[in-house]
Amino acid sequence: MAEKRSNEVDGAFVEEGSVAGGSFVPVLRVPAVPGLFSEEGGATVLGNKCLACGTPYFPKAAECHNPRCGESRMADCAFGGKGVIWSYSVADFPPPPPHKFDKPFKSYVIGVIDMDNGLRMVGQMVDPLEHVRVGAQVELVVDTLYHEEGKAYTSWKFKLV
Amino acid sequence: MREVSVLGVGVHRFGKTGDEVVGTKSVTELCRHAVQMALKDAGVSWGQIEAVAAASSRFSGGKGWGLNGNDVVEDIGSTGIPVYNLSAGCAAGGNAFNVGYSLVAGGIHDMVLVVGGEVMPKGMIQTSGVEEATDPEFLRQRCVGMPGPSFWATLARRRMFDHGTTEEQYARVTVKARKCSVGNPHARFQKEISVADVLASPYVSNPLRLFEICPVSNGAAAVVICSAAKARQFTGKPVTVATSTVATIDFTDALPRGLAGPVPTGPSFHTEAKAAVMRAFERAAIGPRDISFTELQDNTCYYELAFPEEWGLCEPGEAQALLDSGQTTPVGRMPINPSGGFVSFGEATTAMGVWQIAELTWQLRGQAGARQVPDAKVGLAQTNGLGGNATAAILKR
Ligand SMILES: [Zn+2]
Repeated sequence: MAEKRSNEVDGAFVEEGSVAGGSFVPVLRVPAVPGLFSEEGGATVLGNKCLACGTPYFPKAAECHNPRCGESRMADCAFGGKGVIWSYSVADFPPPPPHKFDKPFKSYVIGVIDMDNGLRMVGQMVDPLEHVRVGAQVELVVDTLYHEEGKAYTSWKFKLV
Repeated sequence: MREVSVLGVGVHRFGKTGDEVVGTKSVTELCRHAVQMALKDAGVSWGQIEAVAAASSRFSGGKGWGLNGNDVVEDIGSTGIPVYNLSAGCAAGGNAFNVGYSLVAGGIHDMVLVVGGEVMPKGMIQTSGVEEATDPEFLRQRCVGMPGPSFWATLARRRMFDHGTTEEQYARVTVKARKCSVGNPHARFQKEISVADVLASPYVSNPLRLFEICPVSNGAAAVVICSAAKARQFTGKPVTVATSTVATIDFTDALPRGLAGPVPTGPSFHTEAKAAVMRAFERAAIGPRDISFTELQDNTCYYELAFPEEWGLCEPGEAQALLDSGQTTPVGRMPINPSGGFVSFGEATTAMGVWQIAELTWQLRGQAGARQVPDAKVGLAQTNGLGGNATAAILKR
């Protein structure tokens, strides 16, 4: 399979396919798990927030889990934007199922990001290890995780700003 | 509350399925060995055991792998005694010890056996069995893809940022651990390795390398505990359980265990482990600086540096200097894992918390051979388990 890159200019739901004879082949972009994140109006993950104590949740929590919170008042909330790298690690070997990846396996960085929106989030980094530093600024993006049956399956990731 | 003593301890040496140590032995066979050794060490017969607290990784309905205390009792001889099967991930051994301790301290039973053992399944452990969007572990693996060690690697990387710890210092923790294991008859690995050996091993999750992460092992451990009054009938020098505690994670915990949590307001790391250890200090009226040596859960070398600081055994950021100057060895001023630790034993999940009690007991009796901490008076043990579990125990002579 030819090298594929996500098309950030179009942003939306197609990615640049293999260039056969110079023609552009759109590839359908599908979320790896539906309902968790969105690309419309900028990348966001879909969680919620307790209006009583301000605790943010991703994925959504049915009730607030804060034991110091007097009441649980949950409201849906889309979290996106920027943050800083708290720390990171590398998947030097493929994780076990249910993880899916394009073969041959290529190691990737996993960032733990303190977002301006109040979440400390885990996600793959788009950038290679050499460029990743603790404290560096990143933004939430939606990017391809793996390909299957001609479709590009996406997830939220982080990208150095 | 009655005072509780450790009367006898036993361990089946740790190994890997198919090797010369554990071969194809079942978990029941491994436990039989450990239990018989503990009974002999205690000088009591099977018929004198009034209850069993077992560390179990068996799921309901017989699924999964691992120990079920009822199998051990049936194997050695069904005497009709109560059997408690405790499940707490890798902290199960510590939990079982806590329940055994509580039964004796509370006056319910005089003589209790605590046992843990494991024959680990082959290959990588799958933490999630279901493909459901409601299962956080499924989401973590499908949407991010985090190999088990990546959690530890994240912490190790952050420590490098916070305290300037180097990859060579992480390697030296393993070198120290493996040096301790030489001559420990129960360790799976009993050979020294060099810093160069460790640094030549491949990254499992950068910055952590293969030799810096404990593998899975098969093994078993058992301890016989009883009331102090009862112990005096058997020995003039029993080892005393100063306390045993269990704790779970706090909402404020800062570590990235799921997909996301609130950005923490402070450095609240490993809240379950810290709570268990702090409760132990408080209940035993023993301070961190009174501890002669510590057996802590070093799934990776990072913990030998991080935990002593988080519990006040030394100052934040100080552990690597203590390592460099040899103070964490059995003859140093802050001995950490004189047994060789998980890195030298490999992890036989449910055996670990019980095995630590056996190690503490040998040290406090002065029977630890080459790994003996000189004049060991007070020992601290700690385990951590999936699901936010942790245990601690303090033993003294
Ligand atoms: Zn709340």
